[in-house]
Amino acid sequence: MHEASIAQSLLDVVIETAHKNSVKSVLSVEVNIGRLAAVEKNSLLFAFDALKEGTVAEKASLIINDIPIVGKCNACGLEDEYDNFVFSCHNCGSYDVTIISGEELNIKEIEVEDE
Amino acid sequence: MSKKIEVEDKILSKNDKLANELRQLFLDKKVLVINFVSSPGSGKTSILENILPKLSKKYRLAVIEGDLETENDAERIRKAGIKAYQITTGGACHLEAFGIKNALPNFDLDNLDLLIIENVGNLVCPASFDLGEDFKIVVISTPEGDDKPAKYPSMIRASSAIIVNKIDLAEYMEFDVDKCIDYAKRINPNLVEFRTSCKTKTGLDDLIAFIETKIEEKHAGIRG
Ligand SMILES: [Zn+2]
Repeated sequence: MHEASIAQSLLDVVIETAHKNSVKSVLSVEVNIGRLAAVEKNSLLFAFDALKEGTVAEKASLIINDIPIVGKCNACGLEDEYDNFVFSCHNCGSYDVTIISGEELNIKEIEVEDE
Repeated sequence: MSKKIEVEDKILSKNDKLANELRQLFLDKKVLVINFVSSPGSGKTSILENILPKLSKKYRLAVIEGDLETENDAERIRKAGIKAYQITTGGACHLEAFGIKNALPNFDLDNLDLLIIENVGNLVCPASFDLGEDFKIVVISTPEGDDKPAKYPSMIRASSAIIVNKIDLAEYMEFDVDKCIDYAKRINPNLVEFRTSCKTKTGLDDLIAFIETKIEEKHAGIRG
């Protein structure tokens, strides 16, 4: 289960950001996870909750935004969403499709207590 | 009261940064690094046992073995006469860049042409962790079923080549090799394909020739 490693890396960035900004408590953490990133959402939530104990983020909830897969066809130029993992252009059938989103494994923002 | 702080960072940015440092080091030292990924039991250690002794006649090689608990795979590689270093991940399902960095003092990169990383048997987790390799090769064996690429699209996308192994068993396993490779190529049209059997020694020479070409390209300073 690599979600534990991902949750730990996420917490490391959150804690570092909190420290830099002299934050006392993190309330929420928002991440963008692409559907191609091979991350199981419930495992990530579970691991985050287990690992946040005793850190500046122990009260934080994790908000996961699902990012759909969007590809651009290099043959005809169509930009479209893909529900499955076969990237055949919905217009011309070409397999020469460049993925422009859906691989994200990114932190977006954190919400913190402000006094 | 609360406020928001924009972060805009990759979650695995530390791993990615270290992997890029390793990639630059491997480029400077002209060492080709291949990350082999598969499910458990695909036969990737057998493939390495077969191809590495031949490659070692022309090139200087070493192997980093990723394994959950045991040293068994590293022992097999050593028996084939190749230097192997084992990273036991203690239950983690993948290798990370810092593990590779920690293993490097065991190797003399100035006197090495090819470093093989045999990742932990798992087709999901290693896809997310860049190790600084030139490319990944994914190994699928016929007992696993020809729909395997459809189940692990992220790994298929992350790989540069696919090996369908144990093709001598394809018929008994009702494994359609063409169908499997076709499907994988729909997910990743740039995949280079190999069809191998360590029993009948089929396809191994093609794989050796491919790796030799990549070593030569690395020596010539062409990025993988
Ligand atoms: Zn098109």
